[in-house]
Amino acid sequence: MPLIASTIAGAAIITPVIVVLWRSFTTGRLGFTVGLNLTNYMRVFGDKDILPMLSNSVIYAAGSALLGTGVGALLAWIVARTNTPGKGLVELMPLYPILMPPIMKNIAWILLLAPKSGILNGMLNQYLGIDTPVFNAFSMAGMIWVFGLACVPLGYLFLLPVFLSFDPSLEESAYIAGSRPVHTMMKITFPLAGPAFLSAFVLNLLRGLRSFETPVLQGTPGNIKVFVSRVYDSMALEFNTGLATAYSVILIVLSVITLYFYVRATRFSERYATITGKGYRVKVIDIGPWRYLTFLAVFVYFLAGILIPFIVLIVVSMIPYFDYETFMSFPSNAVLTNYFTVLKHPSFVTGLYNSLVLSVSIAVITVLAGIVMAFTIYRTRAAGTKLFEFIGTVPLAFPPLVLSVGLVIIFLGTPLYNSLLALGIGLFVAYFPYAFRNASGSIVNIHKELDEAAWVHGARWRHVFFKITLPILKPSVGGALFYIFIEAIRNVDVAVLLTSPGKEYGPVTLFEYFRLGQWAEAAAGGVIYLIILVVAVSTAKFVFKLRFSL
Amino acid sequence: MMSKSMKVTAIGLAIGLCFASVAGAAQKAGPGQGTKGITGAGATAQAAKAFERASAELYPKAKQEGNLVVYSVWDVEHLRIISDTFMKRYPGIKATYWQARNPEIVTRVLTELQGGQSSFDVVLSDNAPSVIRAAGGIMSYETAQKDVLLLHDPGIPTVSLQIQALAFNTRKMKPAEAPKNWEDVANPKYKGMIALDDPMRAGPLSSMLSALKTQWNDDGRFNKFLQGLKALKVPVHKSTSAMFRLLVSGEYNIAMPALLHDVMEEMHKGAPVSYVKTNPPVLFPRHAGIYVKSPHPNAAKLFAEWLISEQGQKALDSVGRESSRIDFKSKTSIESAFGKGAKTLPVTDKLFLEDPKKWLDTFVKPVWEG
Repeated sequence: MPLIASTIAGAAIITPVIVVLWRSFTTGRLGFTVGLNLTNYMRVFGDKDILPMLSNSVIYAAGSALLGTGVGALLAWIVARTNTPGKGLVELMPLYPILMPPIMKNIAWILLLAPKSGILNGMLNQYLGIDTPVFNAFSMAGMIWVFGLACVPLGYLFLLPVFLSFDPSLEESAYIAGSRPVHTMMKITFPLAGPAFLSAFVLNLLRGLRSFETPVLQGTPGNIKVFVSRVYDSMALEFNTGLATAYSVILIVLSVITLYFYVRATRFSERYATITGKGYRVKVIDIGPWRYLTFLAVFVYFLAGILIPFIVLIVVSMIPYFDYETFMSFPSNAVLTNYFTVLKHPSFVTGLYNSLVLSVSIAVITVLAGIVMAFTIYRTRAAGTKLFEFIGTVPLAFPPLVLSVGLVIIFLGTPLYNSLLALGIGLFVAYFPYAFRNASGSIVNIHKELDEAAWVHGARWRHVFFKITLPILKPSVGGALFYIFIEAIRNVDVAVLLTSPGKEYGPVTLFEYFRLGQWAEAAAGGVIYLIILVVAVSTAKFVFKLRFSL
Repeated sequence: MMSKSMKVTAIGLAIGLCFASVAGAAQKAGPGQGTKGITGAGATAQAAKAFERASAELYPKAKQEGNLVVYSVWDVEHLRIISDTFMKRYPGIKATYWQARNPEIVTRVLTELQGGQSSFDVVLSDNAPSVIRAAGGIMSYETAQKDVLLLHDPGIPTVSLQIQALAFNTRKMKPAEAPKNWEDVANPKYKGMIALDDPMRAGPLSSMLSALKTQWNDDGRFNKFLQGLKALKVPVHKSTSAMFRLLVSGEYNIAMPALLHDVMEEMHKGAPVSYVKTNPPVLFPRHAGIYVKSPHPNAAKLFAEWLISEQGQKALDSVGRESSRIDFKSKTSIESAFGKGAKTLPVTDKLFLEDPKKWLDTFVKPVWEG
């Protein structure tokens, strides 16, 4: 049964991929069929600029993934395993930055770090007399900083359940053997979180390789060209999905290489099992005076991840235009015009409602399907299930527009075309890798002895899945649901080709201002959007006592 | 004192020169493309009559069709206002729209075309209609109001224009220090002050280059200009609007090019920006292309005609979109922004409009990336 369910999910994912791959061999410019040939691939492999671009892409993506996943892991460890003061606040602070869409972070940090007009360089000049720009948003470091911040939530949400389900006897054994806390942490705690860390790292790396907003907004002005711009140029300049797919194949190759290392690193999965048949309680470590430093670390992330960019956006949304002098004159020059503009937007409410309903449904379905597929790979004996490892991740190698072309071709001429269901399937395909990688990272941490005990007693797969695996995975399920819901509710790229005329999908409306480069209106829309989500998350946490994987 | 006859001769000469310069550009344009120079009250009245005739003929048929589906790159709030005004005038037609960026529009339209879908009626955009036409996706339709259009294409109605201006930050430089024209931007003295739109994308700078190439008709001059720009080693942007915000913020002194409606809007807010008024603005057509498999072709034609009509142009102007008519007065019209009789640089190169990649690979890439 899990195999059948995984096969259905796998088929839904792989079909648009096969369609676009087929077109890469058969089509030239969109609208023209050229027969079976290798023209697109010959162009890709004859492109002399590919290697330097690819090198930039790898530096940018690996740097961001390392920064984001590393900080995320550290935050998860602080929240789950230490006696850092202000528990309630410490649990919430890493969650809020997830709510801020990456493009909002991009714009806020450009305004903060631009060499000549950036707020931070302006302040250094005004208050310390430093007139040489210290920060540069349009540099590789600037790009890694901003996209790295956007990678933290995945690292945090993937690692948190692992640290929360940690069998303390492993660490206690180390202590008994005379190991010091830091040594234990480095030698026992973090290595055991390896699979989940690698899962988050792989996802963040692939996100970085195909990410477009940061390279466009920050890389291009600094003359930093990344590989994915070739994919977008193929679509935006040549309208050639075949060529775009041929370029995407390089991303697929990189994904396969990364996955190979991941599968190799986790092939003895029982080594990483932190959840075994023995009963235990998660132990919080007393880190002494270091707890103040860990609190500071969480707070600094909260500042960089949301508070500072949020304040910048609030000010920008209320001043007539942005330059350093006008920014510093706030609030004497505050106006609310941009808020009126956004609230008057014709599809603000209807669009938000549509996307809310769809995002909740998609988050639930995708997370469940992801767990089933991970269960099939790691907990069944069916042959060839490792193939799902690849299928479940491959959509991430395709830029969303390319992938959604495949979906449009599949749905065209069927009653599904222009329906909400087609949009739902599109979002499912796009977010499945997140659900799947999250589940596989977590399932590796559950020792097989738990399942085996059930099998020995004659349990069927559904008993094992629903009574053992799913309850143990509850923390990571919560995190994945939260993450996919937040991502899906702001999705534009996949949704855009699948929405039908006359039916608004919320994010298209909200992020229209960002797409059009109207930063003041975009900031106002972003502030409203963030306030709604922050209030929702805080209410859920404090009023309804909901725990986001905590 | 100038005699009356001399005055008449001088005015005539000035008008003649003006006409010659615009007509010159039109002659060099690709087949089917052209610009109009002069119009008067007669042309306005004729266009109004032509519109009423078209409206009277098309509306009963369009009413029977009942619907109109528009694919557009324009802002959702603009589309809502425009379609509401249209439906108020023609209550028998229900207009709906789908909004996306140009690559997404072209991708969707051509995929639907290949799939034989009769899914929409009009594509309202700048770059997209010409590209779709080249792939066989546009039904040829000539507007009845062609005589009042600044840029006329006999196969696709031009309903609005994208007007590009040379903008500068007034805190960073005085008007006298700003470049005198597009060509002057390549002057080495502006090194470190300028930001460019990416010339290798189908964006405003590449369309400006195509207009300059058409006007100059001199490959040596064109290549020298490109080499001059390249030698400046300036920051390049893929988003014209983002580049413009950075011009306002003081990151750059000069942005090449900026969109006139952005400049006007920021000037209205008191932002420290202005534009070179003596520099000929670049005009890029915004079309209403009728889909070859349109399920409601009469509604589509009526919509295109209405957009060009005075009421339609007022609706466009109310959301900040530039008029395509010579006789329409607004703060972003050529006459208001650049003065009476101002020269313009129309983008009319057929190859550029239909296959920008090929045009860029042929004329820009060898110099820019060579």
